[in-house]
Amino acid sequence: MPAAHLVLLFWIAVAPALARADLVLVAHPGSGIERLTRDEVINIYLGRYRLLDSGLNAEPLDHPADAEARYRFYRSLVNKSPAEINAYWARLIFSGKTRPPRVVGSVERMLELVAASPGVLAYVDRSQADARVKIVFDVSD
Amino acid sequence: MDGKVRWRQGILARSLLAAVVVALLVGAVATHGVGSIVGARAHALALTRLGELLDTVERTASIACFVEDEQLGKEVAEGLLRNSEVRRVTIRVGDRELAGAERAAGKSRAAGEGDLAGAANVRTVDRVLHSPFDAALAIGSIHLEADAAVIDAWVRNNTRNVSLLLAGQIALVVGAALAALFFFVLRPIKATSDRLHRLDAAGGERLAIPRGHRNTEVGRLVGDINQLAGRLVATLEQERALRSRQEIDRRKYQDLFDHASSGIFVAERFGSIDSCNPAFIELACLPDQVGRARRLTDAHWQDPGKLLAMIGAALDGGQGACDDDFLLQGRRGDERWLRVTIAPLGDGSVQGTVTDVTQRKREELSARRLAVTDALTGLANRTGLHRRFADLRPDDGPFALVLIDLDGFRQINDALGFPVGDELLAGVAARLREFLASGDEIARIGSDEFALAWVGEGDRQALAARVERLAARLAQPYAIAARDVRTPLAVGVSMGLALYPHDGGDIQQLMRAAELALHSARSAGGCACKFYEPGLQAAAVHKRRLEDDLRAMVAGRGLDLAFQPIVNLRSGRVAGAEALLRWPHPAHGFVAPDVFVPLAEEIGLIGAIGRVALDDACRHAAQWRRGGLDIYVSVNVSARQIPADLAPAAVLDILRRHGLPPAALVLEITEGVLMGNVAVAQAWIASLRTAGVRVCLDDFGTGYSSLSYLKRFPLDTVKIDKSFVRDLCIDAGDRALVAAIVAMARSLGLNAVAEGVEDARQLEVLRDLDCGFGQGYHFSRPVAAAELAAAILRIHGAASAAPVTENRA
Repeated sequence: MPAAHLVLLFWIAVAPALARADLVLVAHPGSGIERLTRDEVINIYLGRYRLLDSGLNAEPLDHPADAEARYRFYRSLVNKSPAEINAYWARLIFSGKTRPPRVVGSVERMLELVAASPGVLAYVDRSQADARVKIVFDVSD
Repeated sequence: MDGKVRWRQGILARSLLAAVVVALLVGAVATHGVGSIVGARAHALALTRLGELLDTVERTASIACFVEDEQLGKEVAEGLLRNSEVRRVTIRVGDRELAGAERAAGKSRAAGEGDLAGAANVRTVDRVLHSPFDAALAIGSIHLEADAAVIDAWVRNNTRNVSLLLAGQIALVVGAALAALFFFVLRPIKATSDRLHRLDAAGGERLAIPRGHRNTEVGRLVGDINQLAGRLVATLEQERALRSRQEIDRRKYQDLFDHASSGIFVAERFGSIDSCNPAFIELACLPDQVGRARRLTDAHWQDPGKLLAMIGAALDGGQGACDDDFLLQGRRGDERWLRVTIAPLGDGSVQGTVTDVTQRKREELSARRLAVTDALTGLANRTGLHRRFADLRPDDGPFALVLIDLDGFRQINDALGFPVGDELLAGVAARLREFLASGDEIARIGSDEFALAWVGEGDRQALAARVERLAARLAQPYAIAARDVRTPLAVGVSMGLALYPHDGGDIQQLMRAAELALHSARSAGGCACKFYEPGLQAAAVHKRRLEDDLRAMVAGRGLDLAFQPIVNLRSGRVAGAEALLRWPHPAHGFVAPDVFVPLAEEIGLIGAIGRVALDDACRHAAQWRRGGLDIYVSVNVSARQIPADLAPAAVLDILRRHGLPPAALVLEITEGVLMGNVAVAQAWIASLRTAGVRVCLDDFGTGYSSLSYLKRFPLDTVKIDKSFVRDLCIDAGDRALVAAIVAMARSLGLNAVAEGVEDARQLEVLRDLDCGFGQGYHFSRPVAAAELAAAILRIHGAASAAPVTENRA
């Protein structure tokens, strides 16, 4: 896939500049979630457990596979490439015990989903986080 | 070697056995070692493989743990279990078991036997599982149990395979080595050995070199064996030849040994006899015993220790043979002398040779006795006497040595024969023995000379008395039984005495002193006894010098002749001249003939002197004849010169040389000539007279003057001794004697010459008695030859002046 390669190369070249564009994890403001730790974020996003202390079932959202944000998110969270994350999920997917985060095609839709129900989590650029959502974790930290 | 080599003991079987044993041992050790190594490595390999197996599932397992996904964990565990070596897998998250899987017992491939071993030998591998997203965070573990039975079976299998392979290799190598050994070494050696075993080396057979081994050690071995066999056969041949020669030699020497007349034995140091010949047994009178070993000391030696000592000396000395004589007691009590010669053989034993020297010993003994004994009288001889007094010491007591000489013994011997003389000597010896005391010694030291040693006698007077008695006893007549001697014989003795230690320190000096004394006694006329005096010694020395001078004189022809005319009393003319010897001695002046003639007779010079005198006298007579003096020369002849020193032929030869007729020579002899061997003297005189030489008897009237001489001997003239003429005018007896002699001579047809006519009155009386011739100072002294003519002229002149009363000539 030459196109994908080109994209990859592009992201490798521009990533340091883009990284400065902070990614934040947002949740429903009434979800009761104030702050999440990095481990909690990792556990939720990588399917370890999704039941929060508050008894709320966390439902993480993910960008499409080719989204630049998705790359940045996993790189800064666990220092893995999206391909590696895919391979990870490929091992787990057949047991059916856990699923990868639901992929949502646009940021807007994401924000809508977050705003629509407590427990849904999504990561967006800080600039995209509006009043409908509450920032619970700063990915860049 | 009994011949066959049994196959089990053969080199083939042994090599095979050795190879198999070595191969088995090496194989066992190698297999065990290799098995251990291979087993250990297989175990390690199995564990490594399990580790690697875990590696492949580690990631998935850690993910399963991360999300605590039992399903995924189970899949992982079961996946691992598909590996036959894995028996059980357990995946844990914290303390909780996430997933596990275990092989059913029946499905184990090494079921049964493996249970026990598996239980005892469970091998497990644990691996800590980390979070996939945080390498530092341990989130669980995976536990894997290996199926030991399976691993062991696998390891065993592996080990067995390797061991089999190794054994096969070893077998191959050993087999190949054995084959090479068999073909290249054992087979040729066995073949050679078998061939060698049946080889007839003496028959010239030799081993063949196995094919292809010409240049190998086997080939060389065979070559060496062949050479060795050759040398061995040659050596055996030599040995056989040598043995046969030795056998011949041995037989030869055995014969010598058995039949030798000398005894031969071989004995060791202490006398036990190894071997001896029959002659030795006979000589040594050894008992005939068979059972016991003989010993040298079995013989009845007088001194067996000496024999053993000699054997010891021969063995220790190492200087060849030594010998000695041994006295042996014979079987019948007889004594036997054996000469034993011992020679060491070099092996600690000696060889002895034994000869019977009894005869020689007896002869030696008797010779030794004879050497000191006079056979005739049984007395000691001179040697015996010397031996008796050989070692005189100054502290030995005094003794007297008496030498006794029989006067006129030679005449008795000559006249009556040796048996009579011998009997007389025996008689004298018997009488001498009467004068012996214990310790005294008696010897016969010459034909008629005896010696007595009177021990303890030192006093001269006592000695003189004893000698006197001895002389008287010896002077008594001896009754002689031999032959036809009827009347007892009487003999006078002269004796000389010397005293020890006064006259000499040893027997030689003493003998000389006694001889001088005896000589002095004899010179005094015999029948006397003289003690030794130092003067005798001086006289002897003087005489000795005189002898030397006489010898020198004769050798240097220093003899001088003087001539005294002999006058025919009837015609007053000189008829001849008597040649008188004169010795002009450089120190003593003229020495008288009655001094030096006996001396010359004694030392055997008289022959030479006589010949010179005769020759000189004849030479002068010839001169006178040539000068017109027709006179004869009268020469004195000593009894010693007759007959050999002055043979008639020699006399005639001298006459012929000087051109003299026999009538020109008169030889004057004394009674001594006639008293000797009558027949010889008669022949000598007769022979000369036949030739025409006249013979005159000198000094008639002295001595025996036996008238029978005049009858028995064909003489021409007698000379009347001057002792009768000297007192002719004053002693009627002498005058009567002279008259008788002259008358007798005339009646026998002899001429008479009066000696010592010193004055005219004597001449007158002689003329009255009708004595034919005279000589003396009255006519002339003896003069030198050159002056004789003058003396004759003077005599003739005086004769013509004096009145010749009667001239019947």
